[in-house]
Amino acid sequence: MKKRKSNINPSRRKFLTGSATVAGVAAASALVPIKVSYANHTASDAKGLPGFIKWKKRSSLIIHSDKTMETHREAIGSSVITPIRHIYIRNNMPTMTDAQIGKKSQWKLKVEGVKNPKTFTLSQLQNLGRTTMATVLQCSGNGRGFFPHKPRGSQWKTGAAACVMWTGIPLSTVIKACGGLSGGAKYVTATGSDMPSNLDPKKALVERSVPVKVKKDAMLAWEMNGVALPNAHGGPLRFIPPGYFGINNVKHCGKIAFTKDQSQVKYMKKSYRISPIGKKGSQYPSCWEMPVKSWITSPMKRSSSGNVSISGVAFGGTRKVSSVSVSTDGGKNWKKAKLIGPDLGKFAWRQFVFNAKLKPGKYNIASKASAGGKSQPKLRMENRRGYAHNGWRDHSLNISVS
Amino acid sequence: MSANFYKILTILVLFSSAAIADENAKGMKLFNEKAMCATCHTMKAAGSKGNVGPNLDTLKPTVAQVKDIVTHGLGAMPAFGEDGLLTPEEIDTVSIYVAKNAGK
Ligand code: HEC
Repeated sequence: MKKRKSNINPSRRKFLTGSATVAGVAAASALVPIKVSYANHTASDAKGLPGFIKWKKRSSLIIHSDKTMETHREAIGSSVITPIRHIYIRNNMPTMTDAQIGKKSQWKLKVEGVKNPKTFTLSQLQNLGRTTMATVLQCSGNGRGFFPHKPRGSQWKTGAAACVMWTGIPLSTVIKACGGLSGGAKYVTATGSDMPSNLDPKKALVERSVPVKVKKDAMLAWEMNGVALPNAHGGPLRFIPPGYFGINNVKHCGKIAFTKDQSQVKYMKKSYRISPIGKKGSQYPSCWEMPVKSWITSPMKRSSSGNVSISGVAFGGTRKVSSVSVSTDGGKNWKKAKLIGPDLGKFAWRQFVFNAKLKPGKYNIASKASAGGKSQPKLRMENRRGYAHNGWRDHSLNISVS
Repeated sequence: MSANFYKILTILVLFSSAAIADENAKGMKLFNEKAMCATCHTMKAAGSKGNVGPNLDTLKPTVAQVKDIVTHGLGAMPAFGEDGLLTPEEIDTVSIYVAKNAGK
């Protein structure tokens, strides 16, 4: 694939692929701070946003690190689609630069596991087929910040999620253009082109396999909320298996393969597995389909007494949200909320609102969504890495009404 | 108090600050060379501008946080402890070094 620019000296590269001569490096270098020019993620302006996303709205984001930021709970807004400048950032590899990407129309996508394997350019894909679809994009670790055992990684609360409108090509159209599947495929395996060349693919390549059934709805997207897919969100081409956790929505996608087995890289085999606390391994389920979930986005803290509009978002992963209930007494009593706004399909989220009559006092307000015959549980599913949290209690809010 | 006491105290202070400087140097060496945290992380005090993991100057992690992740790894970051890439002493040294120097 493309060559990455890196000024890291060759001996450093070797270490990362596991064939280091550490002693040699140590002997040769004096003990002074080293100089490696390899950053595009340094803070670039007074706003404190890193250069690669300086176009984002600082005040809508909670910064966990220069590489991870989530949307403030109230900044999700109430127009179903999340404004692009508010959308969270969580990229496993450094975001590719324009220089690394080159001419976007010439971006290449390799397709394997089909009757006629082919490589398409982006402009060829754009002339082959087109569709538009809204999906919820959510990091597997959204809600990790609620786990009391403090799992490693960014402490996301509710903001590592967004509802996005994608435009691109249906995966089924790509398959057809390649003469159909070659047979025996159980997975769609998507590969990112964003791994710096000094890293070891086994340990750092973002390559994710999802069940082949996603081919019915999946797409490859080049546009996000009406603009060319930004590099920071995986441009110029991103794989979208709707209803699946963020990690499976492979950024800077360079290859789609229909495979009998799951990818053997660490990001598939070891990472993103939902295992009990203290246990790990590839025998545990992968972060694939998102469970039903909802949370209130308004009011956040206080309200005046009388009529109080309690509103939020609800989604069912790969299933349509059937109903949302709201409680103002910490889950003792539940009342049906109204689903409002446009229904953008089962992969998008729905807005909900419940009008409560509240006297002055303190309230615990909670929401509970149902989809496909399943409702959100009260508690989180405890797991080692703090994935897939959809318990309603942790997502409730304490408000005071005066 | 006797002049001798102050003499001894001065020597002790000098000695321990020398020891601290030594530990710091060891930490930087581990960071930039043996563990090569530098390839993946930016940290001004070490002169590193790696860009795979988060900028440590922004993150300003605690000793416990660094120790935890260096031992167990995360995503593309190697598990230096579990995989025996660093000794427990080295993990202590580099973790203290990072917690002390990140953001400086
Ligand atoms: C191969 C690249 C690589 C190397 C080498 C590396 N790291 Fe990391 N590091 C990462 C990545 C990637 C992350 C973010 C992981 C994630 O959130 O999935 C990270 C995260 C971290 C964090 C933040 C943890 C948190 O709780 O969010 C700290 C602290 C850290 N590294 C310290 C170190 C130190 C100290 C070393 C050297 C002993 C080191 N790293 C070596 C890639 C690397």
